[in-house]
Amino acid sequence: MTRHASTVTPDLHVPQTVQEAVELLADGAFEVLAGGTWVMRGGIRGEGYADGYVLISKLPDLTRLGWSDQSLVIGAAVTHAQLATFLTGHTRLTGLATAAAKSANPAIRRAATVGGNLSTVDFPAADLVPALLALDAQVSILDVDGERVLDLVDYLASRTTLSPRTLLTHVTVTVPPGFTAQERLTMRSAGDYPVGIVSTNVRIGADGLVEDATIAVGSVEPVARLWPSLASALIGHPLDSAFAMRMAHDLKGEFNARDGIEAAGWYRLQVLPELVARTFRTLEREADLR
Amino acid sequence: MSDSIGKNHPRRDAEDKLRGRTMFTVDTDTGLMLHAALRRSEVPSGRIVSMNLEPARQMPGVRAVVSAPDAPGMYGVMVADHPLFAVDEIRYYGEPLAAVAAETIEQAQAAAEAIEVIIEERPPLLTMAEALAHGAPELHPDWRDYELLAGEGARKGNVSWESTVVRGDVDGAFARDDVTIVETLFRSGRQNQTPLEPRAVIAHVERDRVVITTSTQFPWSVKSGVARMLGIQPADVRVLVPAVGGGFGMKWEMSLEPFAALLARDSGQPVKLVNSRQEEMQTALCRENAEIRIRSAVTASGEIVGREGFVLLDCGAYSGEQPFLASMVTHTLFGSYKLGSARLVSQAIYTNTPPNGAFRACCGTYCVAALERHTDEICAQLDFDRYEFRRQNVLGDGDLGPTGDVFEGDVLGPMLEEMVALRERSTRHQPANDRLLYGTSTTVGTWFILVGPSAATVNLNPDGTATLVTAGVEIGSGSTMQAIPQIVADVLQIPISDVTVREADTDAGGYDGGVGGGRTTVSLGAAGSRAAAEVKRKMLEVAADMLEAAPGDLKLEDGNVVVDGIPSLSVTIKEVAAHAQSNGGPISGSGSFTGTGNVGMVGCAAGHYIGALDLPVFAVHECDVAVDRDTGHVTVLDYRVVQDVGRAINPRAILGQVQGGVIQGLGYALHEEVTFDHLGKSHQQGFETYRVPLAGDAVPVQLEVYEGAPSMGPLGVKGAGEVPILNVAAAVSCAVADAIGRTVSEIPLTPPRVLGLILERDGADVELPHVATVWRDAVVADAQQLLAVAPR
Amino acid sequence: MTTELTVNGNLRRVHNPPMTPLARVLREDLHLTGTKLACGEGFCGSCTVFVDGDAKASCLIALGTVAGSSVRTVESMASPRGPLAPVQQAMKDMDAVQCGMCFPGVLASLTALLDEVSHPDRQQVEGALVGNICRCTGYERIVQAVLGIDRTANPADQTGAGA
Ligand SMILES: Cc1cc2nc3c(=O)[nH]c(=O)nc-3n(C[C@H](O)[C@H](O)[C@H](O)COP(=O)(O)OP(=O)(O)OC[C@H]3O[C@@H](n4cnc5c(N)ncnc54)[C@H](O)[C@@H]3O)c2cc1C
Repeated sequence: MTRHASTVTPDLHVPQTVQEAVELLADGAFEVLAGGTWVMRGGIRGEGYADGYVLISKLPDLTRLGWSDQSLVIGAAVTHAQLATFLTGHTRLTGLATAAAKSANPAIRRAATVGGNLSTVDFPAADLVPALLALDAQVSILDVDGERVLDLVDYLASRTTLSPRTLLTHVTVTVPPGFTAQERLTMRSAGDYPVGIVSTNVRIGADGLVEDATIAVGSVEPVARLWPSLASALIGHPLDSAFAMRMAHDLKGEFNARDGIEAAGWYRLQVLPELVARTFRTLEREADLR
Repeated sequence: MSDSIGKNHPRRDAEDKLRGRTMFTVDTDTGLMLHAALRRSEVPSGRIVSMNLEPARQMPGVRAVVSAPDAPGMYGVMVADHPLFAVDEIRYYGEPLAAVAAETIEQAQAAAEAIEVIIEERPPLLTMAEALAHGAPELHPDWRDYELLAGEGARKGNVSWESTVVRGDVDGAFARDDVTIVETLFRSGRQNQTPLEPRAVIAHVERDRVVITTSTQFPWSVKSGVARMLGIQPADVRVLVPAVGGGFGMKWEMSLEPFAALLARDSGQPVKLVNSRQEEMQTALCRENAEIRIRSAVTASGEIVGREGFVLLDCGAYSGEQPFLASMVTHTLFGSYKLGSARLVSQAIYTNTPPNGAFRACCGTYCVAALERHTDEICAQLDFDRYEFRRQNVLGDGDLGPTGDVFEGDVLGPMLEEMVALRERSTRHQPANDRLLYGTSTTVGTWFILVGPSAATVNLNPDGTATLVTAGVEIGSGSTMQAIPQIVADVLQIPISDVTVREADTDAGGYDGGVGGGRTTVSLGAAGSRAAAEVKRKMLEVAADMLEAAPGDLKLEDGNVVVDGIPSLSVTIKEVAAHAQSNGGPISGSGSFTGTGNVGMVGCAAGHYIGALDLPVFAVHECDVAVDRDTGHVTVLDYRVVQDVGRAINPRAILGQVQGGVIQGLGYALHEEVTFDHLGKSHQQGFETYRVPLAGDAVPVQLEVYEGAPSMGPLGVKGAGEVPILNVAAAVSCAVADAIGRTVSEIPLTPPRVLGLILERDGADVELPHVATVWRDAVVADAQQLLAVAPR
Repeated sequence: MTTELTVNGNLRRVHNPPMTPLARVLREDLHLTGTKLACGEGFCGSCTVFVDGDAKASCLIALGTVAGSSVRTVESMASPRGPLAPVQQAMKDMDAVQCGMCFPGVLASLTALLDEVSHPDRQQVEGALVGNICRCTGYERIVQAVLGIDRTANPADQTGAGA
């Protein structure tokens, strides 16, 4: 795809239906424009623009947000702010709620969409990605050949080859039986991009031991990913932040941490066990409350 | 009676700013104006083989294209080493090569891109260590031929300027067998001012003169600088300055103005030039990075008998402010404490990085940090109490300063005692849990008011109000729009709202040395006060005529001229003003001020623009921190300041300055970082990675103003806006060192850096092998000669 | 291409390309320079305006996406000759303003906060300002001013809060 310097002005197409949007995307010349918070920086960053954009943020099919059986369906054009508001009080989705409520800043959260957050390929620190990974979320994508449902893990792996002809339409999350928590570590306490994110989802059995766990890590590697070895190491043990921290410490060598302007790889690795422990401290509190 | 002094007056410019009505330079649109863009270098070092401007000239909308031949001269602060456009040699990434004006900004940018430049690249010298390495090429092979604009300092190769101090027998002091020698290293990074309003200018030509509307702190220097670069008389340049959206020192030197002026002259149209945020990140005249070695010989009773210092300041590709600041190291790094003997070498080094400049309390921030870390290390090694050692050693009345100047008044000592009182009456936060390491610090610092020439005119208007005319700029601190009219209102005994302030205009206001260096309230205040005094004298003469009394029997009171002791005999100021209209003419007064030019002891200081301080200012800061041992995050729990303000004429405005300055200092100490890639391009291209403090990073500062220190300022004031940032890096570094129990020798103390220290990671400790250890070997001047003339 | 939108209650027609940032249209075409454009990337918040009731960074909004929308800028917070809005007045009373560049955006973010939470605490005020950089004030007065509005508007809340 060709990229143009900021002096060439791209077109904006405003389809009325999802089908129309997919057809506009079909020949690969145009890109999706959702909240625009990532796309619009292209001009001043010298990254340039595509020939044209297809605006999807107002399509009713993509802005829905609600329950379907035991699942939460999140339209791709739902904003972070809408998601955070919707999730207030849903104790089993604390991790996702935290991700939606703490990322970026309020003005960005009111514009940035869930679909956009999952589709910004060059952004390792996306908050929603580990939160949704830890929930085993599925994403539905659509192109002129029809709809497909993928595990988020697979979507992340294929993003670069799928786009720009594919439209992410919604994300489906099954409400977990246990509890979730998310921790992000920023360099400035007030907030900025997280240098490490840990999202934890655990189910505790009647004996008080961890029955099942899913742990996802963001911002440490170029793309967020699951941490299955840590999850297995915790199963069968009590919910204990100190133990989780020790296990994380032993297993963190599995990550190939990235160097960035904000922090070097060693630092991201070094703080990873503490982030794991912090999610467990939150879960301990939630378990106590129960 | 006028109640202007000592009261919390609201700011006259606040409401417009809150309504979004204030027009900053970036907001100004003259209609039919052209927009300009600069073509900047994308290599840090190289020779321009050829440059073809023709393609740009052919682009749509282009009206003017200029480059080096259009502006042949050189400019600078102390050394004229800076061409407007790179001439043959490129010395930093971002250096201007050409400028284009076109009908739209997009057209100007496209045309600037289209200029064809062929460059033979050279390996850059990006660090001071590289620039000082044996056999390193000279960035300015012609340095010997450069014109000196102010002062004289030793220079050699990549040492653009050297300042030295020699007082007393340092070798003897260090050789004594009753002393312990303590040495400290310190390294500090750059800090970008990032005012929200970038540098911006609009220029046009009117009656053969260049008229410049610009976002600057120093209109008169823009006037002379533009004239110099355009080869015209300063009288042919007029500079107007609307409200400035923050400066913090970056807008002290001329920057974009000559480009816009050249393009306006060439095109015959108004031209607007505004730096993008990315350009500001790359080319801001940052607070310079510096490297310091300081050592002291201290007796068991806690007397500092000798102190030696070696300081390198990075000036970037052109010397700018740094030769001046090299000498200010003397008064900060070697200030505050009584020293038996002292020897210092401070050098400004050329590197292939963007030029640095002035930033609120300039070199003072890191010099105080280095000094206070050193002081704490002395205390640790000799087992002194950190507070008591300072109380015993700070300069008091009659003590000698670093260059042998005699200090007047006991200030720092009583301020330390005030701090104890402040601490005792404050509530202090305790760290929340045992994963946090707790530390605290007490630091002292010395800075100065950059006194210097200022002129002011006060007109008494027929309606009894006054108009104050100066070239003082309102950069946001309130000094021009609030403090100076307050002083004038006090002299004339009229309400402060009856003093109108003329926005800075070099065609109206007389010379002024710029808003910065904490000087406005002192210098412009003194000039304004004297101008008002002349108005007062003339008013009393007119009133004497009206009341048939002697002028000496009259006084000003509450908008009236009253015969002393006979309140019934009075006329209003308005009546006086009206009477003057037809009897002798309207009343106006002018006033001026400049510093005394203290030089210190003969033979002590070489290469100093300021040999000794005319008007020192002192600060004592304390902070309590909690350090997260798992992540290295530093949380400032409480922050306390005792600041010497001379006299507090508007206490609430002072607290506003202190709060703002301290938080800016926390950014410097903790998370604002400038680093370069292999091309000398800043990694931090915007607020995404350049982390200035946000609301959640701020703490409420507890302030005690210290009044009564000697001051030549009007009503005894000292500037209060610059000093608040002075000690912050010191207070934080000392508190973090206290918390983690390790040597802290570098700022900013980002979480990775602090965690590296806690974990004792390889490379966490600062090593400065290129910073000299032997003074005689370090100086580029003739060391023997310096020693020979120095007072023993 | 023509885009129609309502700005501060007035219908406006502008002719910029559809991907032009709204902030530039407001400043350069509609001369509403109260809205600042200090970073262009959504970090500094000086361009924050209300779009259909939501406070957003106008530097990251493509003009074409707000066709038919209603935009409100700082210029409409108070009528030109009328009193300041309470949050503006609080800033003035607290002597919070210094250079002033950040305030239009700060006021928008705080107005949005006060719409959502009528009695924000310190943490909520700080949270509302994560996307607003002020380089001058050190924030404390801004925070105090907002906390102060709450108190004067609801004197009953001052007592018993911690009981
Ligand atoms: C100032 C700032 C701070 C930020 N801080 C954070 C942070 O702390 N944490 C964090 O997680 N994120 C952060 N972000 C990133 C932000 O979350 C993303 O910019 C945002 O989620 C992208 O969503 P959007 O709707 O604005 O996407 P757009 O900008 O519209 O699009 C982004 C990309 O995704 C593609 N795309 C969008 N929607 C779809 C779709 N439905 N199907 C297929 N492709 C699609 C677009 O084509 C484009 O390539 C920050 C952004 C900014 C500007």
